[in-house]
Amino acid sequence: MIDSQLLVSGFVFGLSMGSIFFLMTIGLSLCFGVMRVISLDQLLYYTVGAYIAYTVSLAIGNLWIGVLGGIVVGGLAALAVERLVFRRIYEREIAFSMITSFGILIGGVGVVKYFWGLVPRPVAMPIDAQIFVLGTEIPVYRLVVVGIAGLVYGGIWLFLNKTIVGKAIRAGIENVEHVEGLGINVSRLFTLIFIIAGGLSGLAGGLHAPLIMVEPQMGLEVLAFAFMVVIIGGLGSIKGTLVSSFLVGQVVSIGSLIYAPLAQMAPFAIMLLILLVWPTGLFGSPMLKK
Amino acid sequence: MSLVRWWSGLVLAFALLAVLRIYLPLPFAIEVIIFSIYTLGCSFLLGRVGFISFGQPAYLAIGAYATAFYLFYFGNNPYIGILIGIAAGIVGSLLVGPLLVRLRGDYFALVNLALAVIIYYLMQKVLADITHGDNGLWYLTNMSSTPVLDLTRPDQFFIFAFIVAFAIWVFFKYLDDSIYGACCLAVKVNEDKLRFLGYDNFKVRLTAFVIANTTTALAGALYAVYLGFVSPEITSPARAADPVVVTILGGAGTLYGPIVGAIVYTGMKDVVSKVIGNWELIVGFTLVFIMLAGEKGIWGSLEPRLNRLMDRMTGKRSDEVGQ
Amino acid sequence: MSGNGSTLGNLLEVSGLNVAYGESKVLFDVGITVKPGQVVACVGRNGAGKSTLLKTIAGFIKPSSGTVTANGTNLVGLTAYVVAGMGIKYIPQDKKVFSDLTVQENLELGSYASKDYGWDKVYDYFPKLKTLLDRKAGYLSGGERQMLMVGRAILGHPKLLLVDEPTEGLAPSIVSHLKEVFGELKKKTALVIVEQNLPMICAIADKIYAVSEGHIMAEITDRDQIKPEVCEKYL
Repeated sequence: MIDSQLLVSGFVFGLSMGSIFFLMTIGLSLCFGVMRVISLDQLLYYTVGAYIAYTVSLAIGNLWIGVLGGIVVGGLAALAVERLVFRRIYEREIAFSMITSFGILIGGVGVVKYFWGLVPRPVAMPIDAQIFVLGTEIPVYRLVVVGIAGLVYGGIWLFLNKTIVGKAIRAGIENVEHVEGLGINVSRLFTLIFIIAGGLSGLAGGLHAPLIMVEPQMGLEVLAFAFMVVIIGGLGSIKGTLVSSFLVGQVVSIGSLIYAPLAQMAPFAIMLLILLVWPTGLFGSPMLKK
Repeated sequence: MSLVRWWSGLVLAFALLAVLRIYLPLPFAIEVIIFSIYTLGCSFLLGRVGFISFGQPAYLAIGAYATAFYLFYFGNNPYIGILIGIAAGIVGSLLVGPLLVRLRGDYFALVNLALAVIIYYLMQKVLADITHGDNGLWYLTNMSSTPVLDLTRPDQFFIFAFIVAFAIWVFFKYLDDSIYGACCLAVKVNEDKLRFLGYDNFKVRLTAFVIANTTTALAGALYAVYLGFVSPEITSPARAADPVVVTILGGAGTLYGPIVGAIVYTGMKDVVSKVIGNWELIVGFTLVFIMLAGEKGIWGSLEPRLNRLMDRMTGKRSDEVGQ
Repeated sequence: MSGNGSTLGNLLEVSGLNVAYGESKVLFDVGITVKPGQVVACVGRNGAGKSTLLKTIAGFIKPSSGTVTANGTNLVGLTAYVVAGMGIKYIPQDKKVFSDLTVQENLELGSYASKDYGWDKVYDYFPKLKTLLDRKAGYLSGGERQMLMVGRAILGHPKLLLVDEPTEGLAPSIVSHLKEVFGELKKKTALVIVEQNLPMICAIADKIYAVSEGHIMAEITDRDQIKPEVCEKYL
């Protein structure tokens, strides 16, 4: 039987991990939902976000400004990539965007290596405090991460449901052509979605930085988890992304308490099981482009 | 298509490999041959059936580890080891195939990658007692010399790999020209219509899946025998895209593409890592550039031109474009 | 001769239009003209290329050659949202409203695009929509969806509506309601309607183009000749 203290800390650990997964994959999911592209380059913005957080917090001693910097740089990088690359490939099949964005991811890792080198970098925890929850010591920073993810989800929900641009995005998830037919400039909409996606990926990287070592391959290491989250949730579904992020976070965290190798294996097993029943994930729509 | 042309392309491609052997170091030539066998499965899936697989390392590892287990624990004949690798490839792809080929293209790509990662952790952690984890299995000295072609000697191994590769190419060429090849293309283009013609999509896809991944497993078995050791590194997620990149470099679905792609990729990696030391940068942006310039790849763009050249040289007038 | 007798310039002029999807050609040298206030109908079998014609005019498909001119402006090469912004709105077939959005949100999107928030005219034509504002469009009936599609499109006072198969699969009472609405709308805007329901379309059309296998087979402008029996000859 697992010690209840371990279980509580494992649960919080899983929550914070799920929060990072959510921030990291929401961009992937939005880009697929509206533009029908698989944007693996989001994981590059995640890496860049972490490095910006590292550099800024080293220079001025404040991680939060670094995280903000990561959001901005992530968003700008996404803007540049959308303008230079994705704009030319929206019309192509999904495999096409997948390969191209993988190229951007790999090439970007090269750029990161060029600027920051190969050595893994530690980032200081901005909040050292611990609080007691149900008699268990919990790092406050992890709770802050969960809180930020909650705020982001709330913000996205408000944006999509209460603003007209958000409504246009929801309409676009159903049918982009008809949104354009109404007279709405969808290409501006696409750019906006890319900037939001890149910014959130940067945020995920910045928040994750103090919890791990920052290194050039970090995007590739979470690649599989990002895939898993969007597959389980269903490509293009924001609610699905939220649910599966926290599911995967808990499975990784609680799984590792039971038997360490399970941390990496269990989510994949669950994913395969889910796909057996729902071939397009929990909340994925069965339709595809055209 | 005339029998002469049928063979001329193959002979030309392999003459190129033979020339490589003379001018380039042996390890490079062997690497190119195994890599192109490895890529052929991926190229077939992407170009002929329309499946993009980011999980080829999974099947490579299945073949490699099956061979390694045999050579480490049970026997010492590398030929039998390779046969066991092939068998494992067939069994492995038959096990996961029925689930995977049902999936939509985008999910297929993602799930395959996930499979590669599962096998990575399986070999690295879960089965560490048998696989020796990150240290890998070493059995170079276990392998006994074999008659006819001694696989423990690199120069003779090259000849063996060369013959195997040639046989595989002939097989895929045959597939391409057969009715089955047409069915595969049809699955890619329009599955509903194929169903109306009375073919079973599921069977066509599953067969393609098994053929392609068994080929990949064979490449794994060859690696295992050639290197004399196997470690989880072979299925590392960071290398998942290698065969896809090579496929795209060479041109998906072309038969000579994998050879051309493998030469370019292996060469590029060698040269770039020596000169600049940052091969991701080059590989990544080359890939993006190729995708934007036209997805046909190096061989795909050269092929029509070479065909015209050949036609002119043989004095034949042909209206065929490509093949 | 035609509807309101205007001979001054055409609102829309399509000429020499060729369209292909990859290798297969869909439209061959197609030419049509629409005058302000006219209802122009395109009739023909499934797959004749009628929808392709509308989508090309609306800017969703790039023709391989030919011109599409509206009030002297060449539309070829403009993106669909620019064309819509010029007051040429496409109403797609299959009644695809944004089913996850409420009726109100669907209308809001129409207003956002056209900067026209006067929903009263929508309610004038379709009073029923006013009672359905909070319902998700996915739960509407086929007829209600079509009302929403048309209502959404008339925001912003379009000059030309391109309507693709509006009555397909709808109950007769709704068809006649739509017929009345189109008859009313034509006082303010021109319409190009692709339709299979010949009696309905002949009752309101000022001009009919019979389309077959990507060619315009006939142009019927004579009021007396706009009859289902005549049209059928060309199909």
